[in-house]
Amino acid sequence: MVTSRSSRPASQWIVGVRVFSGRPDPTWEPNPGVVAALLATWEQLEPAHGVPPAPPPLGYGGSFLRDPDGREWSAYAGMVTLRDDSRSVWRGDPDRQFERALLASAPPGLLPTDLGPGAPLVRAK
Amino acid sequence: MTLRITIDIYSGRPNPVVDLRGRETRDVLERLRPGRRLKRAEITPLPPSTLGYRGLTIEQVGPLTRGLPRSFRVANGDLFGPNLAHRAADPDVEEFICGSTGPLRRLRLGRDFSLILMREIVRLREIRLRYQWRHQPWPQRDKCRCAPLYEPEWWNVPQRQPHNNCYNYGTNCRTDTFAQPGQAAGAMYTWPLSCASVRPAAVADELIDNPAANNRCPKEGHLVALVVWPNGDFHWYRKGRNGLWSHKPGGTPVTNVDNSGNPIPDPRTADRGPYTQFCTFMVVMHGHIKIQ
Repeated sequence: MVTSRSSRPASQWIVGVRVFSGRPDPTWEPNPGVVAALLATWEQLEPAHGVPPAPPPLGYGGSFLRDPDGREWSAYAGMVTLRDDSRSVWRGDPDRQFERALLASAPPGLLPTDLGPGAPLVRAK
Repeated sequence: MTLRITIDIYSGRPNPVVDLRGRETRDVLERLRPGRRLKRAEITPLPPSTLGYRGLTIEQVGPLTRGLPRSFRVANGDLFGPNLAHRAADPDVEEFICGSTGPLRRLRLGRDFSLILMREIVRLREIRLRYQWRHQPWPQRDKCRCAPLYEPEWWNVPQRQPHNNCYNYGTNCRTDTFAQPGQAAGAMYTWPLSCASVRPAAVADELIDNPAANNRCPKEGHLVALVVWPNGDFHWYRKGRNGLWSHKPGGTPVTNVDNSGNPIPDPRTADRGPYTQFCTFMVVMHGHIKIQ
C-alpha cells in the first residue's frame, strides 16, 4: 500500500484522507476530469451556516482536495469547507456527493478496505 | 560587644544583616529585655516557611547579656529561643530596628524597603493569628512518577504537531519525521499490518514488550500501549503520571480523551474507533530507544 505525506510539488492538485494515526495519511493526484467534476459539484452546493462537527480523535476525519495555490476543500459530515489564506466558506453536502467523489478517486488499494464510499466510516457520528 | 541582627525576609536573596556596636547595642538590648512570660495561649508559633517577613534573628557576638540566649528570634514583640518565650520590654522593638531612623538605615536599603518592612511586620502579626496549625494532607502521590508530563500545549503547536504522530508522542520523542516503528533500526513493520508485524518493529527500536504489565507502571521508564486497525494503521497511547492515558492521533493535537470523549484509565477498554485490536503494553526506557 502506497501512502505519501504530501511532499509533492505545490503545482499539483492533491486529494487526501485524514484517517491514520501512525501511518502518514494517504494522498494522491486526481486526474483533471475528477478535479473538474469536483469543482462543478462545489458550485452546485448550497451555502451552509455553522461549522461541521469535530471528527473523533481516531479513525476517519474527512477528505480534502487541495489546489496548487494552497486552497483546500474539506469534506466531512455533510459539509464542505473551502479555506484559503483569508477565509472559510461552508456549503452543505447532505448527500455527501463531494466526499464520495473524493474517496472514489483514490487509486485501487490505497485506502483501507473499510473506507470506501458508503462505508460506515464515512458516515459521521 | 556586637549584636548581629538578621532581617529574615527573603527567599532567594541573602537576608539583610546589620551589626550593632556600643551604645546602639545597649539601646537595643534594653528594648529586647525579656518582659512578662507569654501565656500558653499567646505562644503563637511562627509559620515555618511563610514568604515574606518572618521576624528578626538576634545573635550575640561576644559576652552574653544576662537573661538572653546566644541566638533568639523576635517576631511581633515576642521573643523565642532556648528557655525564652517572653514579651520584649519594648513590644515595638522591630519597628525601632527596622524603621527609617533605626539601625537598619545604615544598610542603605532605601525608604521603600523600610516601608515594605513595616507592612510586612503587620502582615506577620495577622498571619500568626490566623495560621492553621493542623496537618495538611500531602497531595496524592503520582501513580507513575517516571512517566512524562502531560503537556499538550508543548506538542500542539504548528512547528511540532503536524510532524509528529502517535509513535513520537507515545515514546515522548520528537523527531519531526512522523516516526514509524522499526524505521530507525531498518526493520519497518511489514504487511499485512497487524499486531504481529508492528510489535517486532517497535522492539527493534528498543521498546520493551511487556504484555503482562496489565496497566501497571514500570519502576523505570514509562508505559505505552500498541493498538492496531487491522490492515489499516497502528496507534500508540502513553500512560501519564496520574495513571491516566493520553495520545496524539496522527498529526492532530494531543488529547487525553477517547473517541467517546471520556478519560482513558485503560486503553484496553477505551473507545478506539477502528483500532479494534489491542496488541500489547510496552515500556519505553528513557534514552534507550531510537525512532525515526
